[in-house]
Amino acid sequence: MSVAPDKETVDILLMQEEDQALFKICYQCGTCTGTCPWNLVRNFSVRTIMHKAQLGLIDFGEEDIWQCATCGACVSRCPRGVEIIDVMRAFRKIIAEMGVAKVPDSLRMSVKNIAALGNPMGEPDDKRGNWMEAAGVKPFTPETEYLYFSCCVPAFDGKIRRMATSLTEILNKAGIDFGALGNAEKCCGESVRKAGSESVFMSLAQSNIEAFAGAKKVIATSPHCYHTFKNEYPELGAEFEVMHYTQLLDQLIQDGKLTFSKEVKAKVIYHDPCYLGRHNDEYEAPRRVLQAIPGVELIEFPDNRQSALCCGGGGGRVWMETPVGERFSELKIEQAIEAGAEVLAVACPYCMLMFDDALLVTDKEDVLKIKDISELVAEAI
Amino acid sequence: MGSQKILVIGGGISGLTAAVEAAEVGYDVTLVEQTPYLGGRVTKMHSYFPKLCVPDCGLEINYRRIKMNPKVKIITQAEVENISGRPGDYEATVKVTPRMVNDNCTACGKCVEACPVEIPNEFNYGMDKCKAIYITNGMAFPQKYAINKEACDGCGKCKEVCEYNAIDLDMSEETLTIKAGGVVVATGWTPYEASNLDTLAFGKAPNVIANVMMERLAATDGPTQGKILRPSDSAEPKSIAFVQCAGSRDQNHLPYCSGVCCMGSLKQITYVKEQYPDAQISMFYIDIRAMGYLEDFLVKVQEMENVSLIKGKVAKITEVANGNLKLEVEDIAQGNKISPEVDLVVLATGLVPSKVPGDINYDEYGFVAPDNIGIVGAGCAKKPTDVSNSVMDATGATIKAIQSVVGGGA
Repeated sequence: MSVAPDKETVDILLMQEEDQALFKICYQCGTCTGTCPWNLVRNFSVRTIMHKAQLGLIDFGEEDIWQCATCGACVSRCPRGVEIIDVMRAFRKIIAEMGVAKVPDSLRMSVKNIAALGNPMGEPDDKRGNWMEAAGVKPFTPETEYLYFSCCVPAFDGKIRRMATSLTEILNKAGIDFGALGNAEKCCGESVRKAGSESVFMSLAQSNIEAFAGAKKVIATSPHCYHTFKNEYPELGAEFEVMHYTQLLDQLIQDGKLTFSKEVKAKVIYHDPCYLGRHNDEYEAPRRVLQAIPGVELIEFPDNRQSALCCGGGGGRVWMETPVGERFSELKIEQAIEAGAEVLAVACPYCMLMFDDALLVTDKEDVLKIKDISELVAEAI
Repeated sequence: MGSQKILVIGGGISGLTAAVEAAEVGYDVTLVEQTPYLGGRVTKMHSYFPKLCVPDCGLEINYRRIKMNPKVKIITQAEVENISGRPGDYEATVKVTPRMVNDNCTACGKCVEACPVEIPNEFNYGMDKCKAIYITNGMAFPQKYAINKEACDGCGKCKEVCEYNAIDLDMSEETLTIKAGGVVVATGWTPYEASNLDTLAFGKAPNVIANVMMERLAATDGPTQGKILRPSDSAEPKSIAFVQCAGSRDQNHLPYCSGVCCMGSLKQITYVKEQYPDAQISMFYIDIRAMGYLEDFLVKVQEMENVSLIKGKVAKITEVANGNLKLEVEDIAQGNKISPEVDLVVLATGLVPSKVPGDINYDEYGFVAPDNIGIVGAGCAKKPTDVSNSVMDATGATIKAIQSVVGGGA
């Protein structure tokens, strides 16, 4: 009787991943576990998962496979350069694509919605562009300078829509020639890919690349869309330049195309989105924008930039239920208040969803406001 | 026409060994040392492993051998700017900065009392102050003062009080050309810059120190006269964590194993326990590398009371109340993360090789490569090495340098 009865199966399954060797260089030091934010709220040994994978003992049914929020904190500190997120993604892909175990219910629903309707909320795909007219965004044509991609969340979620509408207001005021695709676009596919649904990701990417035809410069509200367009779409044939909206605002301020006429008197704390910061090394553009706003006093979390604590919404976690008391977003709300912040500035729709929710749960709405950077800029112009 | 001389670059334990070994079999040796004193890193050590003896006796013997041997020429404050040539025929360009103290100096110390300029004492890794005119320690060789040119404001007070006319503030820099048939590169190492380890709080939390600093805290001629006290409040530490691989075996810092830090920490645990038998000691490691007979030393430490050796690389250190430190680390044997709090943290920072510019091949990490002929690496310039192995390695390097003199010139 073998001590690892599933080893052969696991090896065969993982061999189908081109990155299957990644966890084999792990030397089991535990830096990942020591770094992983889950251990602030519950026990989660990333190293044990890597070890089980090395031994062929991965139990695809275990919940831990779905725990990783892909924040990248462990990857940035790993002394061996193990691409831990890719390893997690490989396990999830085996589950989702080969059916060797069950995808958690809440995540399966969101993936199904994205596959069928192009958005995780399950909203009708012919209503995706409804927000544009009220906000004053024209339809994109190949002659338009910038293509603006709002991300599904602001397009469909009435509460998060403010991210898209305030950016629109700023860009119109700065005289930027931009448009959006409306119903022709679909979810970028970042979270489905992290959830292991590679085939759904591929079809979304291909559909978007076709729909983006003629676009030379794309502005993304979400760092997740930004990351995917910038780092994953080019391999599939995309040829456009992509900017996160904070990078564009930073450039407009530096070029003198965006000027301020009002003060926003507030102590503002900035939350680094993992997919803008650790995944794409952009820490300063959002901070420069905030510091340019008259009256804003920018303060920092104890852990910031490369060490920033995640909101908990990456890797598909935004669509999954996390028990109260285990949410990073609640810890961050506490940290922000302790630091004396009046406004928690975000630059990602997932972060905004997570923090809006945490603010309700912690009942701190009278102490702290959650605002997108574009909202603060719009208030000052 | 080749040269019959041997040039030794670096006056630490490896360079000293190479110089006396070559001279004692009849070769003329020039030993160049970058700082004002010989002895290098070992002079800053409290003790050696595994015997826990002090470095003084070994250094004293070597200094004596050098002093008695007219074949060794020592040039201190000498920095090699370039080295070129071929086996049997090398030429080094050496910049010599002025000591501003001549051979009349008796090390009486009156100049130090008079000097008004206080600077961080580099010998003690900045943990105390010294004057702009200084001598590193009682064992220093040569036994005469030196002036830190950058810090000195030229006031001349030292000159006024010196009874031996030993101070010459007009000494100037010179550049020498040294010819040699064979060269020993014994440039040693510097500790990895601990403040690069941005999650480990070094430089932010005063009670996070590097292993080399612990050596000075334990040394009787150190900033605390050998009493191990934590920097923030001079309190006796009741709990100490040793954090291994602080930078080493890490592709974000030093990809290689620094070789000596495991034994260094086991040694430090031993002398800490002598001073504080009740202290709670923990050592966090990836693997403990105690090679050969050093295993016995490891077993001895494992058996000590109140000493826990815990497998797990420390991911983060945060300063908490009273200057204490909280560690974030996975206890791998248990499979869960722990957050112990301690009074003092010692980072086992690794070894970074010191390089010399010129026709020398280095490996990808900056260590002298084994494929050089005529220019031979010795000790830590070649690979991370402990003291006794550096001495043996330097002896071996000497024979290679002699072969270059004998064979290369032919």
